Amino acid sequence: MLHAAVVRSPHAHARVRALDLSRAREAPGVRAVLAPGDCDALDETAEFEGRAVVAVAAETFGQARAAAELVEVEWEELEPLLDPEEAVRRGSLVGEPRRYERGGYERGLAEADAVVEAEYRTQTLNHNPLETHQCVCEWRGDGLDVYISTQYIWGVRDDVAAAFGLPPDKVRVICEYMGGGFGAKNGAGGYVTLAAELARRSGRPVRLALTRREENVGGGNRNATIQRVTAAAKADGTLTALGGEFICSLGWGGWLASTAGPMQLLHACENVRTVEYGAKLNLPAMAAFRAPGFVEGTWALECLLDKLAAELGLDPLELRRRNYANVDTMDGRPYSAKELLECYRRAEPHWERRHEVRARSDATWKRGVGLASQIWYGGGGPPSYAWVRVGSDGRANVVTAMQDIGTGTRTAMAQIAAEELGIRLERVQVQVGDSSRGPFASISGGSSTLPSMGPAVRAAAADAARQILEIAEQRFEREDGTLSLRGGEIVSPDGTTWPLEEITGLLEDGQILGKGARGPNPAGMRVLTFGVQVAEVAVDVETGEVVVERIYAVHDVGRVINPLGARSQIEGGIIQAMGHTFSEARLDDPHRGTVLTKTLDAYKLPTIADVPEIVCELIDKPDAQLTNLGSKGLGEPPIIPTAAAIANAIRDATGADVTSLPITREEILAALREARERERVGAPSA
Amino acid sequence: MEVLTPRSLDEALRLKSENPQAVPIAGGTDLMVAINFDRIRPNAVLNLNEVPELRGWSRANGTLRLGAGLTYAEAMREPLAGLLPALAEASRTVGSPQIRNRGTIGGNLGTSSPAGDALPPLLVAGADVVLASVRGERRVALGEFVVGPKRNALAEDELVTAVELEPASAAETFMKVGPRNAMVIAVVSLALRAGEELRAAFGSAGPVPILVRAPRDDADAFPERVAEAAAPIDDVRGTAAYRRHALRVLTRRALDRCLA
Repeated sequence: MLHAAVVRSPHAHARVRALDLSRAREAPGVRAVLAPGDCDALDETAEFEGRAVVAVAAETFGQARAAAELVEVEWEELEPLLDPEEAVRRGSLVGEPRRYERGGYERGLAEADAVVEAEYRTQTLNHNPLETHQCVCEWRGDGLDVYISTQYIWGVRDDVAAAFGLPPDKVRVICEYMGGGFGAKNGAGGYVTLAAELARRSGRPVRLALTRREENVGGGNRNATIQRVTAAAKADGTLTALGGEFICSLGWGGWLASTAGPMQLLHACENVRTVEYGAKLNLPAMAAFRAPGFVEGTWALECLLDKLAAELGLDPLELRRRNYANVDTMDGRPYSAKELLECYRRAEPHWERRHEVRARSDATWKRGVGLASQIWYGGGGPPSYAWVRVGSDGRANVVTAMQDIGTGTRTAMAQIAAEELGIRLERVQVQVGDSSRGPFASISGGSSTLPSMGPAVRAAAADAARQILEIAEQRFEREDGTLSLRGGEIVSPDGTTWPLEEITGLLEDGQILGKGARGPNPAGMRVLTFGVQVAEVAVDVETGEVVVERIYAVHDVGRVINPLGARSQIEGGIIQAMGHTFSEARLDDPHRGTVLTKTLDAYKLPTIADVPEIVCELIDKPDAQLTNLGSKGLGEPPIIPTAAAIANAIRDATGADVTSLPITREEILAALREARERERVGAPSA
Repeated sequence: MEVLTPRSLDEALRLKSENPQAVPIAGGTDLMVAINFDRIRPNAVLNLNEVPELRGWSRANGTLRLGAGLTYAEAMREPLAGLLPALAEASRTVGSPQIRNRGTIGGNLGTSSPAGDALPPLLVAGADVVLASVRGERRVALGEFVVGPKRNALAEDELVTAVELEPASAAETFMKVGPRNAMVIAVVSLALRAGEELRAAFGSAGPVPILVRAPRDDADAFPERVAEAAAPIDDVRGTAAYRRHALRVLTRRALDRCLA
């Protein structure tokens, strides 16, 4: 196997003036070199740092990297566009501005007793999965095998087939295990094309793995935002208008995630006006990142709502209850199921703790409690398919070409099949991760793996169960539909039982093959996920240090398949949100547009010492309208409300209004000074 | 890259004198980062891990001698932690357990970073740095040893072999502000010893760690004096204004803790 290294633009905006590959081609171990013109993934113009210019494959990674260093590139530097507001003014946008309006926004403002406005900002964030983007490409005859770390093997198959003009099934994509993606690995990406082309030219398998530095420049990011938002309400808290202008720094490409989504969907409000701009800048492009748009938008919306509650003198939880949406806010469709009120009810005792928490404040450490609500998709959808094979030993094998991105999907699928077949979990094996060894399956993105795949697996297991029972009913001369599978046995209503193997044993080398497909989502209904988080914080008002002492999370995602796995998703979401809230930020050189935080030394992920006590609860009520399973996804919901809940707790503790992420000690101190100033000015003169 | 591994101090000093360009390595917690980041490409490293004379600590005539190879984990252990509580507290804030098992006091001195966590506690303890070469041994006060950001008084044939200091006869403490709760370079750090004389030393708020002294009676004005002595800069971890403010707050808190 050969190893590849890529020469990339060190500039945010530049053009190749001259390129000399002669020394690189002659370097020890080099077997293939690609330059612009050889492959679409290489270009002589760089519109962002990290743009690939040359790729080298050599016998070892060290040789490849050494050869890459021998590539001589003469760059002509060009002026980079880095300011998102300037990009909007100049019309440098990815796609058109997205405008949305319902009701009469101006009328809603006019009817209000209170109007609050604020500008919120969020930072650029890197995904930092443990495993960087990487693949091994190997040509076999006229077909190509791609071993890859991906969230979507079928998407990779189609992307690579299109790049090389191959029939899709000539590309086989394999992903047995992988080290996380968080949305950054939803497709193939140029690096796979490079590896495949290097493999084609060298006639050898080629491994191309991004280094951590390459990953933190070009591996995708959650785009920064500037959100100017307004909320208006009657004195009783009824929202009369919500509005916002959202500027999203997408970089050179990507897509405009719905930052206005929470404002449009979360609370009942007749009059809403939003406009979103995707600023096209000379920076690496964004990629989907765990609830893209909704994480950023919920931060602004839910902080704004608490500002409004303070203005109106209303309890923040009560304000949310008074604006509860009973039908979809955008088109009036009924929800397939919605347990947000139940989430509010269960959150209540945790919200009530605020009196006791505040009472533990002292001169230095001020304590408070804040909450934020959450809405997201996560219903999944068709198509997805699964097969369930039952052998003569009564063991089952679930076969489907999905991927387990580290969320425990294999286990969840085994649980579903085991329950349907009435056999123990350890008698079910799950085979995933190979596009030529199983039917089409969903992307593992958008919290959709479980709600898309689970129903297909359940249907396949039910199909296998039905076939087994038909044979049993014939053999034991029972009426059709009277027998069932339970505890590894075939059970008759009269109490007679037979070991499952008594029927499956008849198969000898034969097998029962059950097939299942994911059915449609309920027509005319909106399928969404909901939740509430309550944060308890302590703020050191002298140094600005914030300690998050406890986070309570309650989420409604329909039926819970694996309680431990579900809790892990909630904990993982909250821990990632701790980083988003306090320590993580990609820093760019403000003049050159190059990324300064390329390593994990500079880009600060949260450590275990930053993790608060996390208390998780799930409503766990199957969505009766949704598929044969009633389950929704939980990958994204838990990261959505955390930052706003924390900021609202800081407000509760100190009166300080924090408006930008990450929250730094200096911002806390500045916000505290502003809060004191407001109090001084606003205080009635004695 | 050549790796020189002496088995005794004499051999180490001879090798250093013959290969002045060889970079000393003990735990490697600074050096390996620099190499990984391609900031330096040494032709040779001098591996000090097999030199027994650099290990451990001892006490003679009231003076403590810490070998350059003393790790942070060792500095956290009793009875040494009781003799130098501020150094023990500082050591607890260094990196992760793995880093604390590998990183050494001598390495922190050799690197001479203004953010070196061990330096403020050593400064308030009146530490002398023991330097040795084939030419002999000399002692330099820590305040004179560090001469600039990552620059020190080591001659090219010299090694740091130990620090000598007074055990804490009075209350002392260490505090640190960082951008997250573990594995960080300090935004600002402070060590305070409150004996007959008040001594405070801080890191990350000037080109070198700085020692400030005052009579015990001047405790009220001391936080301001410490803040004024700082020469901080704005960087990605924090602004100069915040660092000065934090120093003032930390000094007052350290005084409250030590004078209580």
